[in-house]
Formats: sequence, structure tokens, C-alpha cells
Amino acid sequence: MEDSLCAGEASVLLQPSSPSWSPLAWAAVLVVALLLLVSQPPAFLQTPLIGYLLTWSPALLMGMLANIQISVLAVAIGTLAGLLIGALQLSSLRPVRMAARWYVQLFRNAPMLILIYFSTYVFPFEIHLGSHYFSFPDWIKVTLGLALPASANVAEIFRGAILSIPAPQWEAASSLAFRRSQLLRWIILPQCLRRMLPPWMNLYATITMGTALASLVGVHDLLDTAQIASTTVNRVDFTVTVYFTSLLLFFLYCYPISRFTQYLERKYAFS
Amino acid sequence: MMDSWLVKLVAALKGIGLNYDFLLAADERSSFLHGLLVTVQLSLATIIFSLLAGFVLAAMLVSPRRWVAFAARGFVEVTRNTPTLVQLYCAFLVLNMLITEALRSSGGNPLTPFIWVVLVISLHKGAFHAESLRAGLQAVPAVTLEAASSLGFSRRRQLLLVQLPLAVRFALPSLINNLVDLIKMTTVASAIAVGDVTYQSIMIWTQRDNVLELMLLMLAFFGLLTWLVNLAGRRLEQYWSLPGYGG
Repeated sequence: MEDSLCAGEASVLLQPSSPSWSPLAWAAVLVVALLLLVSQPPAFLQTPLIGYLLTWSPALLMGMLANIQISVLAVAIGTLAGLLIGALQLSSLRPVRMAARWYVQLFRNAPMLILIYFSTYVFPFEIHLGSHYFSFPDWIKVTLGLALPASANVAEIFRGAILSIPAPQWEAASSLAFRRSQLLRWIILPQCLRRMLPPWMNLYATITMGTALASLVGVHDLLDTAQIASTTVNRVDFTVTVYFTSLLLFFLYCYPISRFTQYLERKYAFS
Repeated sequence: MMDSWLVKLVAALKGIGLNYDFLLAADERSSFLHGLLVTVQLSLATIIFSLLAGFVLAAMLVSPRRWVAFAARGFVEVTRNTPTLVQLYCAFLVLNMLITEALRSSGGNPLTPFIWVVLVISLHKGAFHAESLRAGLQAVPAVTLEAASSLGFSRRRQLLLVQLPLAVRFALPSLINNLVDLIKMTTVASAIAVGDVTYQSIMIWTQRDNVLELMLLMLAFFGLLTWLVNLAGRRLEQYWSLPGYGG
């Protein structure tokens, strides 16, 4: 009797951490193994292919960092703008509400690649402020191009979360004499944040995968580096390896995020 | 006669600062219209093949054979967590190159960029369809399946005649969502020089510097396509609606 109880407790304790932990552990093991290989390559690995791959791996990792930088910044801008637009979507003024709805519809339904071309070609290459010229590099334009769909999606996630709070809570709170701002601040929003987290992380993964499109407008990202490496080295086996390495790098970054999102979804499913 | 109203339209749009002169040049107009056609063909082909791939993958995901389910799960996870463009490059710049090398002696590579785009996007979205269908299959109430087996349905007939029809209905909104994403995703075809509307627009705006104008046309076109998919989805939902399920 006691044994079975203990086993039950152990499984309860282990369950929440295992799905998010194991991919992280795998990633850590992989990184350590890679570092060992780089520092002391064993004799059987000292082929030209491995040599080229080691030479190019810092450049590839820097490229991946550029992708991550763009995605983090785009989602940060998109989240701030999206929360504002999401709030406008719930405004009691009809024209404001309609304008926000149109914004969300337009940028949720536009292909990401077209928005990236749009921001790359339509924004100027430098900004003139007073007597100063600020250059406007391509990667920032791509970031803004990705922030547009991010903001529209965050607005929709926000609206969905607010509408998912049962109406009796609004009624109960207003009958307790909360003002609308207090009601939102103390009752609705705290519940929304938790519901918004899983779809928001899905959005982050989507935007991260969208950053691969940056290479098409000449941003020096992972895929661009891979193309340069493949044409510079010009060997069939290296070309095969370098593109599949890019695929692997994206997978190693996005898969743990997706597993963690699934874990959060399960955790919040019935609360 | 058609030209005269087109001339008037272009002149009117120029009045509000939009330069649509390319519509008056016969070659650029025809290449743009051809681009629209290619995008429609690409969308239709990928919708069909992605749904096929989705059904096969979903069947594999719920397969009682562990290694089949495991292989399908691995494929779905890799596909869902990597960018389409990287997959397209891995397919077109790597696999296509290897196939071309292998077939050099025997008459060349029959696979065109168009086929590769259809293949990659179909498998990519097929993975998303498979996840939706799997969720649909699991949403079928156990009681319904018990009732079916007590009526003497074999496991296979139970899957095809009871579980799948219900699962498709449950998964339909999410499948339609995937198809809308798929339409937007066809724009990556321009990366490997398939002459779709994005590619043709890039060709035109590098000549004429009218990015905004072409962007508006493309957004309107993709808006139309996604609206059509949504409309078809809603019609299908009504047509397939069952009493007792949904609204």
C-alpha cells in the first residue's frame, strides 16, 4: 500500500519536468560532444570534409545568432505593438475597433515573404533626423517586416485570451464596484497572461523559422552563410553537410521551444 | 476595347500616385498574369498532395506498429520545427543536385523546381495536417467506437467508416487554417526561381521601381485566394455538419 503510494508520488513529481528536460539534456550533450570534437578531433575524423566543417562552424553559428537576434527583437516589438492593438480591438469606440480589426486581418493574412520584401524596399536605407543621418541596415528592416505579422498575431492571441474569460467574472467584478481599468488590471489580465503564453511561444517559433527568409533580401544570416560556404568550398559532400547542418541548427533551437509549449498547454489545459 | 479602359484605369491610379505602367506593356503584363496562374497551379497541386501526405502520415502516427509511429513522429517533429526555406534548399540545392549527378549519363534530371516546391510544401503542410487529423481521431468518443465494434465492424472498417469521417469533421477548421498557411507559403517558390507571382513581381519592380504598387496587387491576390479557401471550408463544414456535433 505504502509502496504504491510512493510510486504514485514519484511519477507525479517526475512527470512535469521530464518532457521539457529531456530535449534540453540532449542539446547539452550534443554541444559538449561538439566542443570535444572541435578541441581534439580523433584521427578518423581528420578528413577534408570535417576540416572544412570545423573552419566554417564559427561563421555558421554567428549566422544562427543573427537569426535569433532578429527573431527576439521582432517578437519583442511585435508583442508591445500587438498588446496595444489587441486592446484597441476591444475598444468601445467603433471606428477604433474597426481599424484595429483591419490591421490584424491584413497582416495575419499577408504572406511573410511579401511583408519582408515590403519592409526591405519601402523603408529608406537611412533616416534623416535633424542634421544626423542614421543608417537603416537590412536586418532591422527584416526585423520590422517580421514584427508586422507578429503584432497582428499577438493582438489576436490577446483578444482570444480576454474573450476566453467567462462573462460572469466581468459581471461579478463590476458588481463588486471595480472600475473597468481596475477590473482589467486585477482580475482579467492576470488570467489572460497564463493563457497567452503557449500560443505566444508558438508564434515565437513561427517567427524564428520566418527569419530564414531574411537571406533572400541579403541579410547575412545562417542560410546566407551556408550558401557562401557551399559555393566557396565547392565540394559535393560539404554542400550536403552544410545545408543539413543548417536544418539541424534550426531544429535544435525550435524543438525544445515546441516541447516546452506542449508541456505548458497540458499544464494549463484544465485549470 | 479592353485596352482603353485599362489605359484609363492606369491613368486614374497615377493620379493618386500609384505607377501601374507595367500593365500597359504587353510582355510584362503577360508575365505577371502568368505568375498569377503559376501561383494558382502551385496552390492547387500543394493542397491536393499535402492532404494526401497528411492522411498517410496521420495513419502512420496512430499505427499500432511502434516503429511506423515512431518514424512518422520523427518526420513530423523535424518538419514542424525547421523553416520551409531551409527544407527547400536541402531538397533543391542538395537532393536535386545529387539526383542530377546520378542521372547525368541517363538523360538528365526530370525533376523541375516546380515539382520540388510542390513536394517540399506538401510534405511540410502534410505534417501539420497529420497532427490535426490525429487530434481529430483522438477526439472521436470511445463510446462511438465501442458501439461500432459491438455492431460487428472490423478494426479497419471501424477506422474508415466511423472514426475517419468524424475525425475529418473535427479536424476541418484546423485543416482549413493549415491550407490558408499553405497558400501564403507558396511565395517561397520564388527563392528557387519558379515563375510564381512573387518572382514575376520581383522581376518587374527591379526594372520599374514600383514595389508598393506590386505589393498591393499581391496582397489583394493572396487575400482573394485565402478568402476562397476559407469560403470553401465554411461550405464544406455546413455540408458535412452532423446533428449533435458543433453549431
